[in-house]
Amino acid sequence: MNIQFKKGALELCVLALLNKQDHYGYELVKKISDQIAISEGSVYPLLRRLKKEEYFTTYLQESQEGPSRKYYKLTDKGREYLYDLLKEWQQFSEGVNHIIKEGVSNE
Amino acid sequence: MNKKEFLTSLDSRLQKLSKEERLDILQDFSEHFEIGKEDGKTEEAIAHSLGSPSQIEKELLASYYVEKVESTSSASNVLKAVWAVIGLSFFNLVIVLGPFIALVSLIAAGWIAGTAFVLSPILFLINVAVFPGTFEFFDMFFSLTLCGLGLLVVIGMLFVTRYSTKGLIKYLNYNVNLVKGGMKS
Repeated sequence: MNIQFKKGALELCVLALLNKQDHYGYELVKKISDQIAISEGSVYPLLRRLKKEEYFTTYLQESQEGPSRKYYKLTDKGREYLYDLLKEWQQFSEGVNHIIKEGVSNE
Repeated sequence: MNKKEFLTSLDSRLQKLSKEERLDILQDFSEHFEIGKEDGKTEEAIAHSLGSPSQIEKELLASYYVEKVESTSSASNVLKAVWAVIGLSFFNLVIVLGPFIALVSLIAAGWIAGTAFVLSPILFLINVAVFPGTFEFFDMFFSLTLCGLGLLVVIGMLFVTRYSTKGLIKYLNYNVNLVKGGMKS
């Protein structure tokens, strides 16, 4: 459960970040690990899986500083999937918060 | 662990994957190291934050195995899938097992009949060898006809078996979705 839970949340984070603009892998990892404790390597398998599901496409872009970077771009299919996940997430977190409120604020 | 050690370790764990995919994965991680170094991090620190190659390998291979089961339809995979679907509910025991046994019996019967027809000229020859006086043209032509028919049946069975397997896998997937009620695992 715990692992699955984290995976689902991680998926949601990646899709949400790509909703606004395209990012390269390192950027995505950094933005997520600034907020949540993750083992950073697990973002890459997730990116590959979601790309196979056609939720995003990739393209290479040169950079001034160093090697060319692989950018991830959300597809329409990916955007639909993001909205589905968001709905599920909102229902889920509302439910959990509701239960916590009942159980913890009994003073 | 520095960059080279990390990539080598990962590479050795991904031998199951195609060369193309493996290089692509290593390229992704190599890029991660390079940008991290521009960011002022040491290779060791980057490798440490990435986590262990064995964990990454597990996550990469998990989706590889799922694809493998979907793309190959070997007998053991089909049996595993049937068993998994039956395990989903008692209701399915009746729904899946009945048609499955019927289908397998039909296919087996077809194969046995086809093979027997093809082998009938051999039976005729044995007959002639054992009882040399009984050579009958009618028997010979009849067994040759059967042999031809048998070849047709066998060719037909090849197609029937292939399509049944495909159909069965589709049917099982449908069942899994039905029982799970559209829940995503």
